[in-house]
Amino acid sequence: MVEFKDVSVTYSSGVDALNKINLKINDGDFAFVVGSNGAGKSTLIKLILKEIDATEGTVIANGYNLKKIRRSKISKLRRTIGVVFQDFRLIPTMTVYENIAFVLRVIDAPKKYIKTRVPYVLELVGLSDKMKAYPEQLSGGEQQRVALARALVNDPKLIIADEPTGNIDPELSYDIVELLKCINECGTTILMVTHEHNLVRYFGGRVINLDGGKIVFDEEVGGNNENK
Amino acid sequence: MRISSIGYLVKQGTTSVWKNRMMSFASFCILLVSLMLVGFSVLVGINISSIVSGIEDKNEIVVILHDDISQEQTDNLFVQIKELSNVSNVEFYSKEEAWKSIVEDMTEEEKSFMQYAENDNPLPDTYRVKVSDLELMDITTSQLKTFGGVESVQSPTEFASALVSIRNIVALVSSTVVFALVVVCLVIISNTTRASVHARRKEINIMKYVGATNTFIRVPFFIEGMLIGIISAVGALILTRFAYNELYTVLNDQLKLMNIIGTKSLYAFDSIALPVTVCYLAAGTLIGALGTTISTGKYLKV
Ligand SMILES: Nc1ncnc2c1ncn2[C@@H]1O[C@H](COP(=O)(O)OP(=O)(O)O)[C@@H](O)[C@H]1O
Ligand SMILES: [Mg+2]
Repeated sequence: MVEFKDVSVTYSSGVDALNKINLKINDGDFAFVVGSNGAGKSTLIKLILKEIDATEGTVIANGYNLKKIRRSKISKLRRTIGVVFQDFRLIPTMTVYENIAFVLRVIDAPKKYIKTRVPYVLELVGLSDKMKAYPEQLSGGEQQRVALARALVNDPKLIIADEPTGNIDPELSYDIVELLKCINECGTTILMVTHEHNLVRYFGGRVINLDGGKIVFDEEVGGNNENK
Repeated sequence: MRISSIGYLVKQGTTSVWKNRMMSFASFCILLVSLMLVGFSVLVGINISSIVSGIEDKNEIVVILHDDISQEQTDNLFVQIKELSNVSNVEFYSKEEAWKSIVEDMTEEEKSFMQYAENDNPLPDTYRVKVSDLELMDITTSQLKTFGGVESVQSPTEFASALVSIRNIVALVSSTVVFALVVVCLVIISNTTRASVHARRKEINIMKYVGATNTFIRVPFFIEGMLIGIISAVGALILTRFAYNELYTVLNDQLKLMNIIGTKSLYAFDSIALPVTVCYLAAGTLIGALGTTISTGKYLKV
C-alpha cells in the first residue's frame, strides 16, 4: 500500500514538482499515472523509493513511514518494491541470467534459491531461451522483459514502472503491459507511469492524471480491448 | 551475512583490481615507492637515535672535587648530586683510580719514573655524572657548580647540543617525509577506487534500487583498496629488506672503523623484521581502507 498525505516537493532549484498530493494505492491495485513532461510523475516515484524526501507531508509505502524511516531500513523498504525504468538499466557486461541473479546475490539470498528462482522468473516473462544472451543481443522489448523479470525476482509487493514502454516499439508495448496485468492478477500492486494514451485507453483501469504537480483526475476508466 | 556472500564480495573486490589493472598497477608502483621511502626514513631515524643514545651514554659531566674535603662532605655531595632530577647515574672515581688508568697507558720507562710520584698524586677525586636529558645538560652543569666542595665542573655541553639537534632534525625530516607520502598514497588509492566506482556505477545504481545494504555496496571497493595496499606493502618490504641489508653491511663496518659506534648500535634487519613487517602490512591495509573511504563515501550512500 502506498499513501500520500498533503505531499509537496520543491527541488533545491526552486521548482515545485509536486503540490499537496493526496493519493492512496491499495494492495493489489493496478494504476496508470499519466501526465505531460514535467508534470511530476518521476518525482512521485522517487518519493516512494526514498530517493528524495518530501518537502512537506507524509509518504507511507508498504508499511514504512518514509519521513521517519531509519537509514538502515531503507534497503528493507526497497526490497519490497520492484522498479522498471524506461532505459532498462541492464548491465551490458552480464548475461541475462547474471543480470537477474546479481540482484538476488546483493541482497544476500541463498545460492540454492538463486539457482531455481532466476530460471523461474525468466520463464514467466517468456525468455527462458535467452538466459545466456547479453543485453545488446536482445530487442528493446526483450530487454524490458528482462528488466521486468529482475523487478519480479525478489517477489516484491509493489512494482513501479516509469515509462516502461517509452523505448520500445508500440506493438511490443502491449506485451509489456499485458505482462504487468498478469503479474497484478497474482496479487502484486502495479504503478505504471506512461504518457501513451493508446495504452491507457486499451487496457483501462485506474488512471491518475498529474498536471503541474497536482492531481487533476483520478478515476476508473473502462478498457477498450477491441480497438487495438 | 552468508559465507557465500562474503566469498562473492571478496571475489568482486579482487576482480576489480584486475579489471582496473592499469590504475591498479599505477597505484601499486606509487604505493610501493612511497611505503619504501617512509619505511626507510623511519628505519634510518631509529638507527640514528640508537647511535645518538649510544654516544649519549659516553657523555659524562666530570665534577672535580676540592682536594681538602672530608669523607663525609664527599658522601654528602654524592647524595646531593643524585637528587638532581636530570641525573641518571653518579659514579665516584677516586684519584688513585685515575692515576692507575693514566699509568696503564704509559711505557715501562715512564712507569718506572712515575712510581716515585705515586705518593704525591696530583689528580683530584671526581664524580662522573650521567644525565637523562642532554638538552638540560647546561642547567645541570650550573647546578653542580653551586655545590659546596666542588672545585670545578667539566661538561661537554657543545657536543651534547650538537647531538640533540641531530636527533631533532632526523625526527623532523622523517615525520615530514612520512606525512607527505601518506597523503600521496591516500590520493592515489582514492583515485583508483573512484575509477572503479565509476566503472561500476550502473551496477551500483541497480544495487541501490533493489535494496542492497551499504555493506554490500562498499565492501568490494574496500577489498580492492586494501588488496592493492597489502600487495604494495609486501613488495616494499622485500625491497626494503634488500636495500637495508646492503646499507647495513657497508655502514656498520665504516662506523665501527671510525669508532663512532659500539657493536650493537645499528639494528640488523632480521632483529626487527617482525615489527617492520607488521607496520608495513598495517600501513598498506590502513591506507587502502582510508583511501577508499575518501573516494567512495559520498557516491555509495544508499
Ligand atoms: N533533480 C531535480 N532538480 C531540480 N528540478 C528537478 C529535478 N528533477 C525534476 N525536476 C523538475 O521537477 C519537475 C517535475 O519533474 P519530473 O517529476 O521528472 O516530471 P515527469 O517525470 O512527469 O516528466 C520538472 O519541472 C523538472 O524539471
Ligand atoms: Mg519522468
